[in-house]
Amino acid sequence: MEKDKAKEENPLKVNRRHFFSQLSVGIGSLALGSLLIPDLFKGGTPELAAQPLGIPHFAPKAKRIIYLFQAGAPSQFETFDHKPMLRKRMGEDLPASVRNGQRLTGMTAGQDKFPLMPPAVGFQQHGKSGTWISDFFPHIAKIADDITVVRSMHTEAINHDPAITFFQTGSQISGRPSMGSWLSYGLGSENKNLPSFVVLTSRGKGNSQGLYSKLWSSGFLDSKHQGVLMRSGKDPVLYLNDPDGLSRSDKRHLLDHVSSLNKMHHVETGDDEIESRIAQYEMAYRMQMSVPDVMDISKESEATIKLYGEDCQVPGTYAANALQARRLAESGVRFIQLYHQGWDQHGNLHNEMAGQAKDVDQASAALVLDLKQRGMLEDTLVIWGGEFGRSNYCQGKFDVANYGRDHHPRAFSIWMAGGGIKPGMNYGKTDEFGYNIVENPVHINDFHATLMHAMGLDHEQLIYKYQGRRFRLTDVAGNVIKDLLA
Amino acid sequence: MAQKSRVRLIDQIIFGLSVFLAFCLVFDSFVELPVLVAWLGRWHPVILHFPIVLLLITVFLGLTGKQIPVNLLAIAVISVLVTAISGFFLGKEANVKGDLMFWHQWLGSGLAALAVLWYWLVRKDLQQKIFTKVLQVVLIGMVLFTGHYGGMVTHGEDFLALPNKKRLEKIPENPLIYQDIVGRILDDRCVSCHNPNKKKGELVMTGINEMLKGGEAGNTLVVGDPENSEMIKRLHLPLEEEEHMPPEGKKQLDGSEIQILERWIALGASDTLRLNHLTSSEPLAALINDLMQPDPMEQWAKLPQVADSTIQRLSSDYLTISRMAGNSNALSVDVFSPPEYDANDIISLKRVATNIVELDVSGLPIGKSEVDEIATFQNLEWLEIDKTPIGDVEFEALKTLQQLKLLKIFETNITDQSIAVVKSLQNLKSLYLWETGVSEDAMGEMIKEMPSLQVEAGIDEEVRTFFVANDSIPKAEEENK
Repeated sequence: MEKDKAKEENPLKVNRRHFFSQLSVGIGSLALGSLLIPDLFKGGTPELAAQPLGIPHFAPKAKRIIYLFQAGAPSQFETFDHKPMLRKRMGEDLPASVRNGQRLTGMTAGQDKFPLMPPAVGFQQHGKSGTWISDFFPHIAKIADDITVVRSMHTEAINHDPAITFFQTGSQISGRPSMGSWLSYGLGSENKNLPSFVVLTSRGKGNSQGLYSKLWSSGFLDSKHQGVLMRSGKDPVLYLNDPDGLSRSDKRHLLDHVSSLNKMHHVETGDDEIESRIAQYEMAYRMQMSVPDVMDISKESEATIKLYGEDCQVPGTYAANALQARRLAESGVRFIQLYHQGWDQHGNLHNEMAGQAKDVDQASAALVLDLKQRGMLEDTLVIWGGEFGRSNYCQGKFDVANYGRDHHPRAFSIWMAGGGIKPGMNYGKTDEFGYNIVENPVHINDFHATLMHAMGLDHEQLIYKYQGRRFRLTDVAGNVIKDLLA
Repeated sequence: MAQKSRVRLIDQIIFGLSVFLAFCLVFDSFVELPVLVAWLGRWHPVILHFPIVLLLITVFLGLTGKQIPVNLLAIAVISVLVTAISGFFLGKEANVKGDLMFWHQWLGSGLAALAVLWYWLVRKDLQQKIFTKVLQVVLIGMVLFTGHYGGMVTHGEDFLALPNKKRLEKIPENPLIYQDIVGRILDDRCVSCHNPNKKKGELVMTGINEMLKGGEAGNTLVVGDPENSEMIKRLHLPLEEEEHMPPEGKKQLDGSEIQILERWIALGASDTLRLNHLTSSEPLAALINDLMQPDPMEQWAKLPQVADSTIQRLSSDYLTISRMAGNSNALSVDVFSPPEYDANDIISLKRVATNIVELDVSGLPIGKSEVDEIATFQNLEWLEIDKTPIGDVEFEALKTLQQLKLLKIFETNITDQSIAVVKSLQNLKSLYLWETGVSEDAMGEMIKEMPSLQVEAGIDEEVRTFFVANDSIPKAEEENK
């Protein structure tokens, strides 16, 4: 009776295997089960989705991703999209034909004028590729030929939360799994002693927007795919260390007993979360050894420290996280997500951008150089960018001395390096106003599809069925941008 | 009595059908079929299975010396006649009959005539043993050939060609875009229905001129304008749509194949355009380059089978073995620093030696025995042995790894002596070599000798100096915070 009650609580968790094994029907039902596989009679190539999870669908170009997320949305006009015309037509109103009915945020929707604002900084072309990069980023300028700048990203959201949620999960509404979780689900872990999805955060002095753990949540996927936030300081992963007086062998005994109890409970209820929990206890036990090791940068050479900048020795800085990202990538973490907050320049654009750029410029470039010399750019994809772009017009009254830019979803710039992406390319174009895309638009769904392709996954085949509907990271859209792939 | 009249009736049916068939064949060009009768022709692919089976059974009985029931022979002959007539109706739907159709029609008719002759001989008791046997053998041959030609009409001429040769042929270095790329896509996906023999929708797609001529719908190919070209429009229709091509159930074109057709039409649908005529920003160039890249999965297909249980047995918490992709038997092995290093972990990989294509043992205290074992992994394409204590003596063994494409050997103790080993690795494309005992001279010489090898010798000194001199957030500022 107890068992039945437990099953009533988790009716959906009783799967076919459960059903058959508990009824002990044996081989006959197994045969029936195989007949029920709908693809059996389809013939032709076996469906990708029928392939085992945890293995790429086809030979991957990239095995891991380091995503340098610039939270708050850095302005494309002060980073990678050079629009000299904005200087020439400074102060003029944005033509309605260019805006073309674009919805605005509550912050500028009430403005009767939209005066065009010049770039707050100079631009130069760099490298053989002649990539335009703003003077805020002298170090990234040095790696111009290693990166591919995409100037034609576009999104649907106009506010931070939906936009960043869209970027992370493929949906503006919270609740879906983060892309790191999807990749963990699709590809499994490379190193069993570390989570396959790790998050590191840092914060600049610029205007910040919040970060929340829902951004690295596994949503409806198994919770073992959730991103693990590693903090700076003594306890990178909270509650990982044993209390004083508990030896490692005592801990082992404890875990073994807890695990056998959990297994009994799993047999009764069929709740898969219990299996996840057992696996996670085991991983945490091994992480007690592996995490301190991977977080310890004392073995890094002087030359490496100098490359990332001295700031990398200060725990919790972007530079420290960038160096950490390389170490985690070396240790086989699939998806390493950095967030640097403070890119929301509604005002005081010049000073704040300069400060934010200083935080990330050297370390981002150093990371690419460091990965390159270690041959890791061959199979690691680095991405740098925010959740949307910024307006070419001024928020508030026209004042060249101190101005800001509002959110802009229709066009913005990011860059990528390594992992099967062509180096030294400039992809996509915006119009002279930097407002609309005129060539090769890349939607967030396309971006996700392309990343998954680089990782050896067909975005249309990595599916999870939940609440009676099939879900994908790209849901019902997305095209792989072949031009970006080497 | 009833028996006799039934036999008479069968005789008359066979006679009637034979005359009708002969009439059809003789007055072929004058026959105009009513819609309903033409529809009967559509049943040809269904009915044709009966005469094949019935005739073969009958002939089998005859050849093995058994008594052939007259009723069986009669039914077989009637089914042959009905099939031939329905085939004639179906054939009327094609305006021009190609070679295949011609042969199929006349072989089929001959078969019918022969079957009727046999029936007549049996009924008249004129059978002579030898003559009947020959007739039966010829019938079998004709069944086979008629069926084969019919099959080629429906499924395409090289449906049975084993294995499709053209497909395996490598795309040449600088391909002609029509002949080597577009033509192949059309051959694979369209030509089985749109060829001179089958001509579905009056369209032939075996050449540019034929496509320009178009079919029933017209505008099949509008040079320079993919959006108005019917062939592209139909590719984009939803699969459920009647007009969608290729029809549901046939192999569909994938996204990049459609893009290739579109760009080729947009660029003028030329048959002389080559890959090197395209600018590098032309999307078609990227699409074709993508197509030309050898698919590693194909190369790995030859590797011996590895069971999941073997993989599981050899794996440990610190040694991850994973399949490169899907159900491939190519393996990637990552070894991470365990608390207590045991050389046997690597040596036990012997079990799957030929399957390992990627191996990462960087940072491990490996010695001679492990390196010697690694040297037997003959299919290894990717090897990371950086940050290990190995030197020239150990490295020497690795010259056996002739499939190696990528080698990471930075931060090791090798010296100039090892350069000879590197040079002997014919397929090596990328080499990561810095902070070793190798002298700059030896490096320079190697780079000169191996122009196709990408050597990463550490971060450029100039760049490094720039980074050190221009620290974004130097310590001094840090302290002022």
